[in-house]
Amino acid sequence: MTQILLRQDHTGQCLSFGQYCDAGGFEALRTALGGMSPNDVQQAVIDSGLRGRGGAGFPTGKKWSFVPRNLPGPRYLICNCDEMEPGTYKDRVLLEQNPHILIEGMALTCYALGVEHAFIFVRRGYEQAAANLRTAIGAAKQAGFLGSDILGSGFSLQLDIHQSAGRYICGEETALINALEGIRANPRVKPPFPAVKGLWGQPTVVNNVETLANIPAIIAHGPTWWKGLAATPEAAGTKLFCISGHVRNTECFELPLGTPLGKIIDGPCGGMRPGSTFKACIPGGASTPYFTREHWGVAMDFDPVAKAGSRLGTGGIIVFDQNTCMVAATLNLTRFYARESCGWCTPCREGLPFLVHTLEKIEQGLGTESDPDILREHVHALNYAFCALAPGAMGPVEGLLRLFEDELREHITKGRCPFGD
Amino acid sequence: MPKLIIDNIPVEVPEGTNVLEAARSIGIVIPHFCWHPALGRAGACRACAVKMLDGPVKGLQMSCMLPAQDGMVVSTTDAEAMAMRRSVIEWLMINHPHDCPVCDEGGECQLQDFTIAGGHGIRRYDGRKRTYNNQYLGEFIAHEMNRCIQCYRCVRFYQEYAGGTDFGVMGRAAMVYFGRQSDGPLESPFSGNLVDICPTGVFTDKTARFRARYWDYDMAPSICPHCSLGCNITPVARYRELLKVVARRNDRVNGWFICDRGRFPKANVNALDRPRQPLVDGKATSWDEALDALRERLNGFLELNGTQSLAIIGSPRMSMEGNTMAARLHKLLDTGKICYFSDSVHAGQTLEAVASLTPDNAASQEDVRQADLVAIVGSDLLAEAPMMALAVRQAWRNGAPVYVVGEETSTLFEYVAVASLSDIPLAEAKHPVLICGTNHVGSDIIDTAARNKAKLSFILDGPNAFGCALLSQEYGATPLSEAVASGKIKGLISFESDLTLELPAGIRVLAAADCRKTPLLSRAEIVLPSSAWVEMDGTFINNEGRAQRFKQVMEPGLPIKGLDPAGHPPRLHRNTPPGGEVLPTWRIIAKITERLGSEWIEDPLSDQWERLRELDAEGEGISVV
Amino acid sequence: MIPEQLAYDLQQRVKDAVTHREAAIDVLKELQRHYGWLTDEALAEAAQLLGLSTLQVEELATFYEMIYRRPVGRTVIHACDSISCWSMGGEPLLRHLEKILEVETGSTTADNAITLLPCSCLGNCGDAPALMIGEHLYGRVTPERAVAIIEQLRLGMPTKTTS
Repeated sequence: MTQILLRQDHTGQCLSFGQYCDAGGFEALRTALGGMSPNDVQQAVIDSGLRGRGGAGFPTGKKWSFVPRNLPGPRYLICNCDEMEPGTYKDRVLLEQNPHILIEGMALTCYALGVEHAFIFVRRGYEQAAANLRTAIGAAKQAGFLGSDILGSGFSLQLDIHQSAGRYICGEETALINALEGIRANPRVKPPFPAVKGLWGQPTVVNNVETLANIPAIIAHGPTWWKGLAATPEAAGTKLFCISGHVRNTECFELPLGTPLGKIIDGPCGGMRPGSTFKACIPGGASTPYFTREHWGVAMDFDPVAKAGSRLGTGGIIVFDQNTCMVAATLNLTRFYARESCGWCTPCREGLPFLVHTLEKIEQGLGTESDPDILREHVHALNYAFCALAPGAMGPVEGLLRLFEDELREHITKGRCPFGD
Repeated sequence: MPKLIIDNIPVEVPEGTNVLEAARSIGIVIPHFCWHPALGRAGACRACAVKMLDGPVKGLQMSCMLPAQDGMVVSTTDAEAMAMRRSVIEWLMINHPHDCPVCDEGGECQLQDFTIAGGHGIRRYDGRKRTYNNQYLGEFIAHEMNRCIQCYRCVRFYQEYAGGTDFGVMGRAAMVYFGRQSDGPLESPFSGNLVDICPTGVFTDKTARFRARYWDYDMAPSICPHCSLGCNITPVARYRELLKVVARRNDRVNGWFICDRGRFPKANVNALDRPRQPLVDGKATSWDEALDALRERLNGFLELNGTQSLAIIGSPRMSMEGNTMAARLHKLLDTGKICYFSDSVHAGQTLEAVASLTPDNAASQEDVRQADLVAIVGSDLLAEAPMMALAVRQAWRNGAPVYVVGEETSTLFEYVAVASLSDIPLAEAKHPVLICGTNHVGSDIIDTAARNKAKLSFILDGPNAFGCALLSQEYGATPLSEAVASGKIKGLISFESDLTLELPAGIRVLAAADCRKTPLLSRAEIVLPSSAWVEMDGTFINNEGRAQRFKQVMEPGLPIKGLDPAGHPPRLHRNTPPGGEVLPTWRIIAKITERLGSEWIEDPLSDQWERLRELDAEGEGISVV
Repeated sequence: MIPEQLAYDLQQRVKDAVTHREAAIDVLKELQRHYGWLTDEALAEAAQLLGLSTLQVEELATFYEMIYRRPVGRTVIHACDSISCWSMGGEPLLRHLEKILEVETGSTTADNAITLLPCSCLGNCGDAPALMIGEHLYGRVTPERAVAIIEQLRLGMPTKTTS
């Protein structure tokens, strides 16, 4: 099984710049600057079938192609390292181990897009990752991989780190742009999309850490090779799956995209922890509807997971055992979203607290027969919020209603949580 | 011009119109809170859901966010759209207090209207309501945050539209707070618009708090008399007291807003001690006696001194009706002078400015907002005509460069300070506007504008300065300073004039009509109390030559509030309320001319001004340039 | 008043930014580091450094989870209460912390040493339940480890961040 992002021999340590270069680091950048046009780089990414690793799974090359190259003024690339979706920690693991691969990926992307100033937007709490990046940027500058006239190609790049002060909504790309500009991180109206009018009104691409970290391998080994790393012919590349919850090994694994859920849990995760049996999991970070045993065979790739009623999201798999109350779990998730709402639009700002209140009542045994209707109405209405936060928050609630309605009703009919003490 | 179908009604709207506005144009009002024509779309409240049945966009959509396009088939009554709107209202009402009975917004509250329209009636949320502490925002605006529905209109107006920096939104999630960093008066000279723009009762006019209900208001379309711009307003009165003033939409003039200077001062109208009864030599008397006394004294004066020694004084703050009638009195008596302006330099400049304006080059506030270059010469807009500064800000927000010759203290827009007009690249702009203070009018400015096809806007002194300039031209008026300097003037009759010069002691003030207690009144032998502008119909011609009608809002009289309880209700039987014996100045002049033997004049607008008789107070006004 | 060196550094940060506002969060965090929390004085200083009104700074300061606009103890313990930590005993851990610190969540110990705050996902889900103390992440925090961590904090000693 080929890994291009993580190095098993290096868990818990940061690769030095020298170690990265010795292992072929920055060769892709040399290759690109030496003989590929920006368009060649973009085409390779389009050919690779790389889809964004931040949650939405939008084809990366296509996103790049939306950037108009003829507008006056600068263009920007922003690396989205505002990893705050509960159950997701892959970008932290990657950057704590190998910040250089992101820098090389960003340099390649900037070359492809004609960007001369890029930012890495790092969430609060990822201080180690930010420190690693700072060191790595210094080393890359020293070695001539950043700065002006990189490797004599005429291409220049300034790479800056912007550290946030902690809000989930900053991960939404237009909110992130506002946050970076130093204004309140409410999402912006789309259109115009950031590709046309983003940071300081200029064309801007926002890509996730993992997405950008895949670019060097695509350029170094070619899109066909990279695509072939996946587990199925439809999938492309590898994926960082970060595991938490009631399995033995709660770690971040780089696996072929399309690996079936069951194989992940039984394989690298080492199965359930002693005393636990599998009840359900969240397949792709807190905003994705639950999977149950019936989804064991679903290939963990964007389309198959969507077809099975959920989303691959960030690849953050959270596993629950038989003692987990799904109402309580959903309440916890909804509380998170209610707290992290930016407060801009009504459905999110007021609807989520209404849901929290309703779920609290049900969990406390005070629910009424009409409460599931309130949940159902919200699952529908919150889709029409301003941005994707509230619809995302409805993932687990929708899953609860679809897969665990009996458990939900049991809370109401019994007047208590069946999992309570 | 996209054509679309809304609720089976075909409609064609201008490019750029959104579906919400398109529906409104055929009388279908879709509930909305955050959207406002002047602020544009925000997409925050999600109340304006409609169902797109066919066309380029399908499914449930927010109508404010969607530009109307050809082929759209829209349903506002679709069950899913109605359910969404009901949900939004339910969410908003979760925390909104049911304090409507004690809320000043009650009856004119968009949230009340749209709660009914949205179909939400039965409360399902049984948790606690969110509450906030209010802030002291100064003497003009009351703050009641518990009522807030977080539509973000206030902050979008205050910061984006009006450039204020001391009021905004703090917190996040369900804990957003709209206010200042700490208690204190709002700093923006446009802060009063928060009262108008808030769809519910978070911001209410403190000066009118707990005084009246919407359905009891005396109100009528009116024009602001506080500067020359002629912003459209709706004054609100109750029990003979002017309670508050709100902005009235006129897209060509002020748009949706007014400045605080036009909104809050009401003392001139409500003052208990303003002239309310005719006085002869300081003694209260009846109109008949006062007019008889005036006739006698006037005859005596004219016999002794001749008609050439008498001056009739009009005023740039008096209506067109009053000023034309002053001219008729002047003609009737064949007096030596008719004066509309005090100072000769000032009069000359105003006349020159007005003469230079044509239908093609006179810039409205809207022209300024739409300009692609603005040049300001010798005017501190924020001090002289605040709404013009706000208009310049809108041009600047749209990308127009602003150039300033001279001093400008406004922080509403960034500008380039230049030494002279010739440093401004007027020729590079397609729609440039040159704004000029009256004191700086000169042929250089007028010529420069003409050469560059720039529109012109002059900031004049007074709501009817333009009208006075035209009348000055028509009747060959003399500035009062000149008339006095000639030494020929021995007496005058003044109508609402504010003299800027020291009147020599030898000149008799035979009579003065005014609604304000001016220094001149204390010198007048006969005082004739006149109606304030809200107590009568009238016409002002604003700085661009736009004649606008204002309608009577209220009956004159001592406000019931503040009356000595012993005197109320009045024990004397009378036809007018106490303190209500004032008359519009034009009627006072008509009475004088009648007393002097002329026919009674029923309509003051005659000759070339007859065309203003049918002026629609709710229209955009008529250009007289 | 902030020390001259810090003022200079922050001025440089603002100067180097593409726009003043871009540096706003950095300035707020540095001032918070200096004062322990973002005091009204710090807010005014930030406004001056950034060329903004205090309201405009407040608009930003009150948006973010990790900017404190109220006094906190010398150390702040952020206890993650999101789903992964919840599933691994985050709630009992928080109750335990309340007990050993003798405070309610959201408040500060009597000796002003420690403030206990719940927080959103720390991105340490594989090592749940997680805490963030200062700028360090702590994973797999058992009740016993919590006691040890707090003892060390009270002694002002550095603590091991990983299990």
